[in-house]
Amino acid sequence: MLKINNLKAGVEDNQILKGITLEVKAGEVHAIMGPNGSGKSTLSSVIAGKEDYEVDGGSIEFNGVDLLDLSPEERAHKGVFLSFQYPVEIPGISVSNFIKTALNEKRKAQGLDPMPAKDLLKMMKEKMNLLEMKKGYLSRNMNEGFSGGEKKRNEIFQMAMLEPKLSILDETDSGLDIDALRVVANGVNKLKSEENATIVITHYQRLLDYIVPDFVHVLYNGRIVKSGGKELAHELDERGYDTIIKEADKKWA
Amino acid sequence: MGLINNIKSYSETLELSSDKREIFDSFLSEGFPTTKDEEWKYTSLKKIISEDFLIEETGTKIDEITINKYSLGYKDKIVFVDGKLISKPEISNVKISTFSDFKSYGTDAISKLNASLSKSGFTITVDKNSIIEKPIEILFFNTVENNFTQYRNSISVGENSEAKFIEKIQNVGCNSSFTNHCTQISCGKNTNIEYNKIQNNTSESKLIDTMVVYQKQDSTCNINTLIFGGEFIRNNLNFEQNGTNCESNMNGVSILTDSQFADNHTFVDHKSAHCRSNEMYKGIYLGKSKGVFNGKIMVRQDSQKIDAFQSNNNLLLSEDATIDSKPQLEIYADDVKCSHGCTIGQLDDDALFYMRSRGIGITEAKAVLTYAFASEAIDNITIDKVGLLAKNLLSQKLNVDLDFSL
Repeated sequence: MLKINNLKAGVEDNQILKGITLEVKAGEVHAIMGPNGSGKSTLSSVIAGKEDYEVDGGSIEFNGVDLLDLSPEERAHKGVFLSFQYPVEIPGISVSNFIKTALNEKRKAQGLDPMPAKDLLKMMKEKMNLLEMKKGYLSRNMNEGFSGGEKKRNEIFQMAMLEPKLSILDETDSGLDIDALRVVANGVNKLKSEENATIVITHYQRLLDYIVPDFVHVLYNGRIVKSGGKELAHELDERGYDTIIKEADKKWA
Repeated sequence: MGLINNIKSYSETLELSSDKREIFDSFLSEGFPTTKDEEWKYTSLKKIISEDFLIEETGTKIDEITINKYSLGYKDKIVFVDGKLISKPEISNVKISTFSDFKSYGTDAISKLNASLSKSGFTITVDKNSIIEKPIEILFFNTVENNFTQYRNSISVGENSEAKFIEKIQNVGCNSSFTNHCTQISCGKNTNIEYNKIQNNTSESKLIDTMVVYQKQDSTCNINTLIFGGEFIRNNLNFEQNGTNCESNMNGVSILTDSQFADNHTFVDHKSAHCRSNEMYKGIYLGKSKGVFNGKIMVRQDSQKIDAFQSNNNLLLSEDATIDSKPQLEIYADDVKCSHGCTIGQLDDDALFYMRSRGIGITEAKAVLTYAFASEAIDNITIDKVGLLAKNLLSQKLNVDLDFSL
């Protein structure tokens, strides 16, 4: 589904990603871990199409399409979804109105008519139940005054509504208490299928107890320095990043 | 030539009373305001008054279909065409008649011109203890190209009564026009009045609108000004609070494109204690458009416990758009709460990316954020149809097909 090949990207003269190669197939869950400043969020932003970053090498292919050629909205229409580490507050737009607009814009791109209001509300209700969200959510302004946990839940709610093929969860666990974490993880797991894939970006192993990855990659200094199965996450949790960092520093010194 | 000469020739065809002659002569000696005048510092009439306008010409009749096209669909409609009242509704407890000459209030040139030469407009009297459920729509049509028209209107609402109005000035079959519009509203004790101005006229229309609201105790008056179309608009909106527990609310939404110009000048005169005023003006500027906001609040010496709030938020969506915003607070009482704030900004890039990452195209994302910016003021409008119209016109002006309701 997603083929990243030797991707190099950065901001102005500062190269942050120094050659990332990663393949994600349908049905898989990949975890990307790594210390702060290793380039995790840059990677997710580049996949989603944030224009602040300049790509100066490599490629990203998504279901046979060159993703780097597409605008952020076109990537979303193709099925890429990014759950933001810091969701943006948009006063003046209700959650329901926002999601309605997003969903219908995607449908428009696919040549479909807007979803009838009745069907839309039904779908919203279903997905809200899945994420144990209270009814009042829909009429609140988008992320305005939301707690950290509410914001993250709202991200997964949008993911549930937009039904993406590839979901990138950027630090979805940060700011969540254990109950909220369980609910959010449970939602993600229920939305998982053979057709879609998930990339979980996290600093801690905690989230991976709930969303169990098939592969774990360690990102450090703009490179994937180690890959393995889910046991790698446990290993990191016990021993920390030190050993891996030392090895990597030696290798690319 | 120019407008002032045309007006002068026109005045010679009229038989003015000596009072009016005096006011008119005073206008002539003063002339139209220039940018040297403090109140017109950012607003130039130079180009407009150099044009050759016809004065108070009458044109063709217009049919029901045209009227309905521009109406919001309310049953009770007052319709003027080229200065002539052509229809008025029968509403119980409401008296509607054509022009009645009321004394001049303004001392500025524009008001003098209106007071001395205008001979048309509506007079509405709402009886006391009457709740007028349905809004009254007032439509002014102009059918003559390059016509200068003046209206002089008055509304008087008796104590314990409520009424709502929607006003529109519309060119039909012509593009250029210049309207000098004056309206006086007298709010009796314990009244509740809402007046909506939908300013969405043709691309070469010019308008100076002056509204003066006199409030007695316990009255609430809401004036909503929605600016979408027109080449030049100057709104003077003045409130005078003459009694305790008055509330004056002003909501404004302007969305200007191309080289449109709009100026909102407000003045709240807090002459009594224990009163409130709320002002919220939102301006959105695209293309080479230009906006002006001037909000003056005066709190007189004995007007204690005043709560006055003013905000003017502006969104500049193009490099060439400009806004001049000026709050003016004059406070002579010591126990008052006055706040004002003015912001000028652009759309938030992070919010734009957030929306685009959800599949909302860049034009639509900008429109949604722009709508979000204006919605606070739009949501204050209590007539659903007016709010909806504002939302639709907003999408139209931003070139998107979005429905902001749900």
